[in-house]
Amino acid sequence: MPQFDPSSFSSQIFWLAVMFVVLYLLMSKIALPRIAEVLEERQDKIDDDLAKAEKLKTEAEQVLAEYEKAIADARSSAAAALKEASAEMAAEAAKREEAFGAELAAKISEAEGRIATARNEALKNLTAVATEVTAAATDRLIGAKLDEATVRKAVDDAMGDAS
Amino acid sequence: MAAGEKQSPLDQFTIKPLSGEPTMLGGFDISFTNSSAAMLATVAAVTLFLVFSMRGRALVPGRWQSCAEICYEIVANMLRDNVGSEGRKYFPFIFTIFMFVLFGNFIGLIPGSFTFTSHVIVTFVMASVIFLGVTAIGFARHGLGYCRMFFPHGAPLWTAVILVPIELVSYLSRPLSLSVRLFANMVVGHVLLKVIAGFVIALGVFGIVPLAFLVGITALEFLVAALQAYIFTILTCIYLHDAIHMH
Amino acid sequence: MTEPDDRSSLKQLDERLKAARTRHDQDRGLDNSGKSGANNVGVGFRIAVEMIAALAVGVGIGLLLDNWLGTKPWMLIVFFILGCGAGFTNLIRVARELDRKARLAKQSKDAGGGQEG
Repeated sequence: MPQFDPSSFSSQIFWLAVMFVVLYLLMSKIALPRIAEVLEERQDKIDDDLAKAEKLKTEAEQVLAEYEKAIADARSSAAAALKEASAEMAAEAAKREEAFGAELAAKISEAEGRIATARNEALKNLTAVATEVTAAATDRLIGAKLDEATVRKAVDDAMGDAS
Repeated sequence: MAAGEKQSPLDQFTIKPLSGEPTMLGGFDISFTNSSAAMLATVAAVTLFLVFSMRGRALVPGRWQSCAEICYEIVANMLRDNVGSEGRKYFPFIFTIFMFVLFGNFIGLIPGSFTFTSHVIVTFVMASVIFLGVTAIGFARHGLGYCRMFFPHGAPLWTAVILVPIELVSYLSRPLSLSVRLFANMVVGHVLLKVIAGFVIALGVFGIVPLAFLVGITALEFLVAALQAYIFTILTCIYLHDAIHMH
Repeated sequence: MTEPDDRSSLKQLDERLKAARTRHDQDRGLDNSGKSGANNVGVGFRIAVEMIAALAVGVGIGLLLDNWLGTKPWMLIVFFILGCGAGFTNLIRVARELDRKARLAKQSKDAGGGQEG
């Protein structure tokens, strides 16, 4: 086997050392710093992008929450306004009804008053007529001239009985 | 099989100097060989791959950039999982080992090229450097306390007579097992490929059957090439972990 | 109504963001699952190599000591036995480590399932 021929060893060892040292220097001074730099840059970029995306996401969530809150607020304020308006309207209606009722009651009592006065008047007239009729009747029938006061008293008595 | 004997499956491992006469340095032959050329190609391929794929420095990586980043992250994860944060400063070294072995294995799979990881001296020198470095790190961190590595705590003291030599031999076997594993995998894979390729040529028209087999084995060899680079690196990480944390 | 739509799409977004975050954190955090399968191919070979390497080192040390001290073949025998012991130590170590890794992978898988569920 040519591998075990010692005459080639010195040349192989020499060139191995030379080539390995050259490669080591090339790697450590040129190639590796470059790759490390690019990888570092990428890691930073990805980290950065992820952080940015997360930030945007929280922002979006915040906006969504704000939007939802605004909607809820608008809803509740609309409901409140609706409630207020309906209460107002109900109050108005009640007030009007009350006013109308009061007016009606006043008119009724007025009418009742008028009726009562008319009745009293009528009764008064009736008493006077009755007194006259009674006085004339007694005069004509029994010829007794009764004074007006007595007649009236009698008529009042009778009327009080009747009424 | 006269042709088979003339072209042995082991011929592909022969070291051939590319220049006419050997270059000497301090009495040693340091000729630039096909093995050296494969190493040079590996260094060039790794460097070009990483530098050009990362040229765009795109935040969203393209295909090539993804490959480069995956290589980086495989080694980084390996180091983090097996060594922890203390291993960070050895990352360039571990990464160089990984890429060197990985691309060396891959380049060796190109027909007609040379696999320098199929030479035990190469893998053994790498494993020895790792072994010595890790041992030095262990002694630098723990002082002489690192010798406790060789005695499992909790065991009765008299067993030290047996356990310490065993642990010592076990510890010393690390560079050997590390290098032999990679070397043997590469040799076996390439011999297998050569032998089956020889069948394909020898059988002519009927070579279609071994050819399909050859394609399958080649795919498997790519997997083995990546896997062995991975195992070589992860064992380095595990040894580093032992040196830093002492179990 | 558009509200429920807004809600659900926000929730969806939230889920997707969370998923992206966990994926990202996993990417940079500990995530060592999903690569144990490929190792299985090398495990047998690895164990064999560990044992043989320990034995070889034992024999090598034995031969060296014998040469040095002139104690042929005693050191070789002693270190052959020690090499066997070291081989088994290595074997046990590899087995324990694989066991630990398998348990780790299982744990992380369980944890992952718990996270998803």
